[in-house]
Amino acid sequence: MPDGQIVVDGLTKVYKNLRAVDDLSFTVQAGRVTGFLGPNGAGKTTTLRMLLNLVQPTAGTATIGGRRYADLPEPIREVGAILEASAAHKGRTGRNHLRVLCRGAGLPKHRADEVLALVGLTPAANRKFKGYSLGMRQRLGIAAALLGDPRVLVLDEPANGLDPEGIRWMRDLLKALAADGRTVLVSSHLLTEMEILADDIIIIASGKLVAQGTVATVIDSMPATERTLVRTNDLGRLLAELGDQASSAPAENGVYISGPGAEAIGDAARRAGVALHQLVTERPDLEAVFLELTKEGAGIR
Amino acid sequence: MTTLASPALSGAKRTGTTPGRLIGAEILKVRTTNAWWLFTIGVVVFTLLALAVNWLGHHFELHPPISQLNADQQRTAEASAALARTPPGLAKITADMVTSGQMFGCLLALVLGSLVVTNEFYHQTATATFMTTPHRTAVLLAKLMAAALFGAVFWAVSTVLDFVATPVFLHTEHVSYGMFSWIPMRSVLLNLLAFVLWAVFGCGLGALIRNQIGAVITGVVVYLIGSIAIQLLFQLLHVLIPHDWVLTAQVAAPGVASRVLLTPGRAFDHAPPQWAGGVVLVAYAAIFTIIGIALTRKRDIS
Repeated sequence: MPDGQIVVDGLTKVYKNLRAVDDLSFTVQAGRVTGFLGPNGAGKTTTLRMLLNLVQPTAGTATIGGRRYADLPEPIREVGAILEASAAHKGRTGRNHLRVLCRGAGLPKHRADEVLALVGLTPAANRKFKGYSLGMRQRLGIAAALLGDPRVLVLDEPANGLDPEGIRWMRDLLKALAADGRTVLVSSHLLTEMEILADDIIIIASGKLVAQGTVATVIDSMPATERTLVRTNDLGRLLAELGDQASSAPAENGVYISGPGAEAIGDAARRAGVALHQLVTERPDLEAVFLELTKEGAGIR
Repeated sequence: MTTLASPALSGAKRTGTTPGRLIGAEILKVRTTNAWWLFTIGVVVFTLLALAVNWLGHHFELHPPISQLNADQQRTAEASAALARTPPGLAKITADMVTSGQMFGCLLALVLGSLVVTNEFYHQTATATFMTTPHRTAVLLAKLMAAALFGAVFWAVSTVLDFVATPVFLHTEHVSYGMFSWIPMRSVLLNLLAFVLWAVFGCGLGALIRNQIGAVITGVVVYLIGSIAIQLLFQLLHVLIPHDWVLTAQVAAPGVASRVLLTPGRAFDHAPPQWAGGVVLVAYAAIFTIIGIALTRKRDIS
């Protein structure tokens, strides 16, 4: 079992009459950023909490480097996590919050100052948590996750509350951590952010796995959704030249043609003597694929 | 791994989680909020108030205001004053003085004990705590030890004030009794036991009722109103079942047990001996703790 690999196998959580997570299996590799995506209520947070021994699974297992979280001898030196509800006592300073964690885990207390510097919170170290902005709270959560210099990072919606500068900082940090050879599992519903950040993605809906693979593989798995935006002076002649294999749909500023690719459309235009003013290939993005894949499981359960 | 290069970690021994560290973390949690000094001030204030009330009460016990009484009352007051001046009477008064502040001190220990647990849920720090240490029994036992320790600290603060005030009281009242003799000292030590047990009781209650306000109110009600209600109930029961053991059985209420434990001699008619109060309190603390641990092990933290 390679170090730092996360293996989720048949994981299931049943609440009274809701299968929050339903026979979910996936693996997360070290050295890559893996995006964990799903609509609200898909079971992302429940899955991560089961991985971290905070929620008891109804069935199935989740292991990190081949061991259950509860069996790790020094968990925060192996796994760092921020969960949605990560919080601190409102009357405790950020530095003291981290020192408490250091004390419990047997880390030296000045480690707290190192991670505060790492996340840029040193100026606010002695301020009480209740005075922190949402972005500062998120940074403190990341600082706590990094305390033990862990090989595995599990982050639930880490970009929540961060401003654009903060989001970029987080993206660079997570990429650098993955480049170090660490495992980075990030849940999010910010799809464009994930498309930039993630190497691999896992998509779940209604507690079930919908897709898993590299971002490109998952997008390519969608059948023939590529289309071309065309602007021309004579659409009728172009469509006649393209023949039956082409279908068209009106676009805001021209027309979408699916079937033949841009090359075939350009050739057809030359043969028909039609002028082309615009010819743009539109590949489906992660958002389109995500909405397509999760449309059945996206409702409120 | 270069991103997180850390001089602090590279030089550190990997000791992991030990009971000592867990208790240390729990103590640090209390010390890094306002709770510890607010509660300490509370103990000081209530001890001073209790000293004033006890001082006044025992002053009139030893020196009844004869001139304001009629002849009958004078005789009774003089008789009880004479009784209070005998060695057993002075022992009881001294014991009372050196444990001044115990009533609200124990209550504060109870409330702090429940805060040690319920704060984790109120401030949503349970996630971080149980992620750092995914052994819930160990965490709760550490909380119990920390709560017991703070109970003992509150006792120490209260006792130091009592030990300063009591000799002054004895001197100004022109009586003398050895503050360090067995009867007062036994009360002081039993008082320590009570502070610690109430803190543990609060901790167990917090594990049982995770809602902070719910746990604190339940604790205060059990402590203050519970024993009065139970006493009334047992008085009524005694009318229906006129046996002495019905009155003795009141000790089953934690508040009554505490009073039995702390009262030299008999706390009320047909009260069981002092140690029985201690046994009942230990039993409550143990039962609450065991149920609290069992629940915490099973519960989902979300």
